[in-house]
Amino acid sequence: MINETRRSRYLLYAALGVFALFALTPYFWVVRTSLLTNFAAINPETGYLPALDALTLTAYTDIWNQFDFVTFFQNSVIVSVSATLISLVFSIPGAYAFARLDFPGRKLLFYTAVFTIMFPWIVITIPVYEVFYVFGLINTLPGIIIALSIFVLPQTIWLLQGFFRQGIPENIEEAALIDGHTEIGAFLRIVLPLSAPAVGAAALFSFLTAWNNFLWVFVLTSDEDVRTATVAIHFILGSDVLREWNILMAAVVLLVAPPVVFYGLSQRYVGEGLGGA
Amino acid sequence: MARVEFDNITKVFEDTSGPIIAVEELSLDIPDGEFVVFVGPSGCGKSTTLRMLAGLESITDGELRLNGEPVNNVSPRDRDIAMVFQSYALYPHKTVRGNMGYGLSLSTDLNDEEVDRRVVEAAEMMGIEDLLDKKPGSLSGGQQQRVATGRAIVREPAVFLFDEPLSNLDAQLRKHMRTELSRIHSELGITTIYVTHDQEEAMTMADRIVILNDGQLQQVGSPKEVYYRPANTFVADFIGSPSMNFFDVDLEVASDGTGTLVGNGFTYSVSDSLVDLVGGEGEYILSVRPENLNVDPSAPDERSFEATVDVVEVIGSDNFIYLDVAGKECRLRAPSEVEPEEGDVITVSFDEADLHLFDRNTEEALIHGHERAESSPKMIESEA
Repeated sequence: MINETRRSRYLLYAALGVFALFALTPYFWVVRTSLLTNFAAINPETGYLPALDALTLTAYTDIWNQFDFVTFFQNSVIVSVSATLISLVFSIPGAYAFARLDFPGRKLLFYTAVFTIMFPWIVITIPVYEVFYVFGLINTLPGIIIALSIFVLPQTIWLLQGFFRQGIPENIEEAALIDGHTEIGAFLRIVLPLSAPAVGAAALFSFLTAWNNFLWVFVLTSDEDVRTATVAIHFILGSDVLREWNILMAAVVLLVAPPVVFYGLSQRYVGEGLGGA
Repeated sequence: MARVEFDNITKVFEDTSGPIIAVEELSLDIPDGEFVVFVGPSGCGKSTTLRMLAGLESITDGELRLNGEPVNNVSPRDRDIAMVFQSYALYPHKTVRGNMGYGLSLSTDLNDEEVDRRVVEAAEMMGIEDLLDKKPGSLSGGQQQRVATGRAIVREPAVFLFDEPLSNLDAQLRKHMRTELSRIHSELGITTIYVTHDQEEAMTMADRIVILNDGQLQQVGSPKEVYYRPANTFVADFIGSPSMNFFDVDLEVASDGTGTLVGNGFTYSVSDSLVDLVGGEGEYILSVRPENLNVDPSAPDERSFEATVDVVEVIGSDNFIYLDVAGKECRLRAPSEVEPEEGDVITVSFDEADLHLFDRNTEEALIHGHERAESSPKMIESEA
């Protein structure tokens, strides 16, 4: 009996190990390649685990010297954080209204918002470009911020309304009304503090979506000074005749780092927020 | 302290399938300091009525007055009420102290020390002074219930509202809290409106019981009144456990003025004075409470009937005997020494003074026992 339990546990760990290897190898390869010289990166003799003295940070210093990554990252941070904040400002009251208030057209509006999550955005790139052109928002950071805010808003609304509907008992708000709050007061002082996990999760998803967004930035910008890191990598990847793999992988590592840090900071809340508790 | 008046209050909910009348033309005057219990099956409108009083539900029609002032459009925070919810609705991110003091610091201009003094006082009253710095999540259901009640009493409101506050507790704790809430009411003397679906809770706690069904007021009266003089078959059935026995009967009157109630499986002779009171021959519903039925082999034939024992439930102090009378279930509450075997045929009798007669068409009460029938039964109109 005990042996059988132990054996199945070993099997479980073995399966988990294989799966982890499968999942983590690409990440390992990215980090490994980014720490090599350009020649070592394509040299078959380097091996899966390169010798310690072969490791170097030249790819990272080169990337800083060859490309204007400070601007790209700065742009990425500005647009992602702004889009996250703007979408939260609109989606928190919006989601609360969808979850709690009864107003004409509530269902229609809600399903319209949710439908846009599933919408194939690429088919509207040309009309969107036209609209942004008319408003003079092409090649501007505000233009990208507006586009990304609109892009992440539906998913934030959807995530938060589920939490407001199920995670916060209506009686608690009613108790706050009886205790002396107005409806707005009850929302700001009781509902919102209790919703911190969900708001954290929504913020994380908004940030990740905005940070990783390629399409809108690619469509709405052509100047290098308003390019975000995600799009910049595309140009690094596509521009060189002799591809510098180590520099490309270093760029990928840098691109992935901020979301990982952001997730690390908010992960305490995210599980709770998604669990709806 | 407040007097609460419901004046023709109606609540209609609009649903996709059409309007739903939750409460219909409810009129009720609750004097200052009274403990009133709203009771009825689920969906009868009792919670809706309470929520309208709290200001959490709008009033479709009619006027609601607190101390003579119409409050239909007054927001909950300006009504000077405190409410205990079935789910307790404690703020999970605040400590017990924070929960109890929150309403006080929001709705009054008391300073922090004064608020804290009152919180501690209320906590002592509820026996939760050692829980003050804990969060609700770490408390048991019973403790949360005490905190919720404490949060209400600390406000010293004009009216206390309780929405099935004990339904999430186990039976023993429920009984204990029942006594405790009654004690608090008599100590504070604050008008209290309490909603429950448990008729036993209603009977033990209320000064007056308000029985609702399908949004309509069935009867208002003291526990004894609704028990001994139910206004209709619904009240008779709902109040009392096990519930009352009902038999469809026809009253046949002999030439000497005495009558016989003829039902399916039995006949029962009644005196001429009862015949006079009920107003002659007709179709009625005869009801007798299980505790008024006796197992009596020596009872005269014309005042007894035979029944087959179906199930005997031993309670300890009593036995509940479920009988079969011509295919209809009949419940009898007997002393514990009366313990017939299942399948036995026993003779059951009851006193004429204990019977109730209802009109078979309107289901409203006509007679409550021979002796108690001198004054007419309290009907809905006379109270409402």
